Amino acid sequence: MEHLGLSLALFGAALAAALAGIGSAIGIGVAGGAAAGVMTEDPNKFGSCLILQALPGTQGIYGLLIAFFVLNKLGLLGGGGAAALTWNQGLQILASCLPIAVVGWYSAIWQGKTSAASIQMISKKPEAMGKAIILPAMVETYAVLALLTSILMLMGVQVG
Amino acid sequence: MGVARLKKAELYYHKSVHEQIAAALQETGACQIISSSEENHSRPADVEALISGIDEKLSDVRYLTRTLTPHYVDPVPALDRMLGERPEVTMSELEELASNTDLNGLCDKTRAVEHETAEVRLKLSEARQNLLILSSLGFFPYPLEVITEGTKTLTGLVGTLKAANVSTFRAALGDFSKYAQDSELIIAPYDEKTQDVYAALIYSRSIEAEIREVCAKNGLSTIDMPLSFKGTVDEEREKISGVLSALEAKDAELAAKMSELAKENIPTVQKLSDYYNSLSSRYNGTSKSDETECTMLTKFWVPSDRADEIRAKVEAISPEIELTLNDPDPDEEPPSLLKNGNLVRPFNILTELYSSPTYRGIDPTPLLAPFFWIFFGMCLGDAGYALVVFGLILYVFKKYRKMSPGVKDFIKLFLFCSVSTFIYGVISGSFFGNFIDSFVPVLIPLKNSMMLVDPMTNPMQVLGISLLLGVVHLMFGLLIAAYDKIRHGEIIDAVGSNISWFLFIVGLCLFGVGTGGMLPPHFVQIGSAMAIIGAVIIFIYAGKGEPNYFKKIINGFLALYGSTSYLGDILSYSRLLALGFGSAVIGMVINLLGGLAANIPYVGWVVAIIVIIGGHIFSIAINILGSFVHPLRLQYVEFFGKFYSGGGEPFTPMTLSQEFVNVKA
Repeated sequence: MEHLGLSLALFGAALAAALAGIGSAIGIGVAGGAAAGVMTEDPNKFGSCLILQALPGTQGIYGLLIAFFVLNKLGLLGGGGAAALTWNQGLQILASCLPIAVVGWYSAIWQGKTSAASIQMISKKPEAMGKAIILPAMVETYAVLALLTSILMLMGVQVG
Repeated sequence: MGVARLKKAELYYHKSVHEQIAAALQETGACQIISSSEENHSRPADVEALISGIDEKLSDVRYLTRTLTPHYVDPVPALDRMLGERPEVTMSELEELASNTDLNGLCDKTRAVEHETAEVRLKLSEARQNLLILSSLGFFPYPLEVITEGTKTLTGLVGTLKAANVSTFRAALGDFSKYAQDSELIIAPYDEKTQDVYAALIYSRSIEAEIREVCAKNGLSTIDMPLSFKGTVDEEREKISGVLSALEAKDAELAAKMSELAKENIPTVQKLSDYYNSLSSRYNGTSKSDETECTMLTKFWVPSDRADEIRAKVEAISPEIELTLNDPDPDEEPPSLLKNGNLVRPFNILTELYSSPTYRGIDPTPLLAPFFWIFFGMCLGDAGYALVVFGLILYVFKKYRKMSPGVKDFIKLFLFCSVSTFIYGVISGSFFGNFIDSFVPVLIPLKNSMMLVDPMTNPMQVLGISLLLGVVHLMFGLLIAAYDKIRHGEIIDAVGSNISWFLFIVGLCLFGVGTGGMLPPHFVQIGSAMAIIGAVIIFIYAGKGEPNYFKKIINGFLALYGSTSYLGDILSYSRLLALGFGSAVIGMVINLLGGLAANIPYVGWVVAIIVIIGGHIFSIAINILGSFVHPLRLQYVEFFGKFYSGGGEPFTPMTLSQEFVNVKA
């Protein structure tokens, strides 16, 4: 049982990277399908389509960021050896990972759907690129807020 | 600053000079033609004649561009083209080029090659199809003539059937063998994995109908064979292979011919495309004019500071010209043109991406510019990244001197923002993430001496700054809204819906900060007084115009409940901390991975350099996207939500078309 704390903390890091990553992969996939459809008509839209497709990708990065944050906090990076954790501390770190894991997962999927719709929009009205970028960014707000929550929670957890 | 003043110009001139006038108006690039106000307006006959001639040329040019461009390899990279590396020509050079170019002949030549290519492709696909059919008929030992033509008494067919049906098919055919000795069934070899078995059948013409019936019953689907098949399968295959390679050679030859045509002609065609498009927009513009027997009247909008230049230009063409300039009538809605100084102009695009202001509305560009600048800096927030962006942009400006003004302004926006990024990077101690702490410890004291905030160890401080900036931004928006209403004489609305909220929120902030002990105690009293006055005004204003006292009170409380939306707006600015934090931590992770890679024996330092450089390039790209999009959202949703809705028609003057080349007048 002495390693339960560490295991819980690692489980949290895994959830953050994995769930947010899954969400981003789905979101980018959905947007990519729409982009490919638009580009069969007009290959010149590659640049703007790529930007819109990339938008739901940030959640995966946020998840990775939190995972690294946790690993760093546990002293698993750099070969210094893991910090000793009580199971309670491990559970706290797991809890801190949940906001970005869950919100990252769902928001990326919905952002991907919005991106896909925006890609459809610029296929008809290329001049509306500004508006097309803003609509998916509205969804991302909640991923940013979740990231912030995770970061603040993690900073508050005392380890060692 | 703001929306440029326009004049409504009315230009009367003799028909004999209409071409020069149209050219002059287009060359200034400052005239937006106004459609004739006459009902059932028809284009002046002289202009109409010109337009139909130009349309013909344009359709040729479009055909050539569409057909030849896929075969054209531009020697100049597309990025260079976008950044202004394009031929420079004058309109008179283009006119000469147009008269020396036989567009029609070129079209005929291209069409001939295109047509021939299509024919060859058709034959090619036919030959490939036939080869495919032959490849599965290897089992058939006789000349194919027997099937495609038959003899006097015999004919045949080829088809496929399910492997499971082969035995029943054989049995069914057995019944006929007594009166059709000449029949023969040949089944292609097959094993248990085969699903569809090829079968050939030769039979007497006299039992054709019965055979067909048996075939249909057993699910044998016949394959249509081209009548040209005469010899044995191998002979035919050889023949077709010969034809195929000849056709492929022909196809390659035609493709080379097309590339040659493209290489020789695309530069000219592109120039002519811009030339004829310029002419088309020129005469489609003046076709909106009114005419009498000998004169024409063209109306257009022109920025008032360009009016004199245009007067000089048209009066030089002919003395018999009358130009009147008037201010727009109050009931007219002129288009809007943003006019800002060098420092603000690059931010125009942010306003235009949302929606242009109306002619008499407020131009939000100078108001949003400083906020966007700061927010972008906080989101990217890294001195090292800022230096990379700054250096890259300077290099681009040095290398490409012929950039179009629009592209230049857009790049300049990032040049400006890299400065704020650098400043925030220095005061938050971020240089390629934590590069200094990881790899150059000598510089740590220097870095620390310039740090004013430390998001890594004290994020609450930066969160506070972000939210405070949010309050300032929102309150600024409210004051602009109040100013706009007062300008239109709606003083009560300004006080009731804007100033009241300003007092309420600023008061609450002062109260909160003062109670927290960060301000002298009398700020608490001032704050609470402001908040109460604000709340009372909000309460009363919401009930205005409602006769029922009970409903008045309900409306008042509902209005006060609207403060939750302000809370949401303010919290939305926490993204400034989160995104700045994000770029710092991504940088940190990259340095960490680089440091780990450096431990690999012998090649470690190479891997480390690749990881660090590649990683930071990725980080810059992804973070610039985020740092552009999120501050923009704060402008559009939180800031514009308070006072701006756009809705103006942008000023679109008649200009020379510059799709492929830089055209000078």
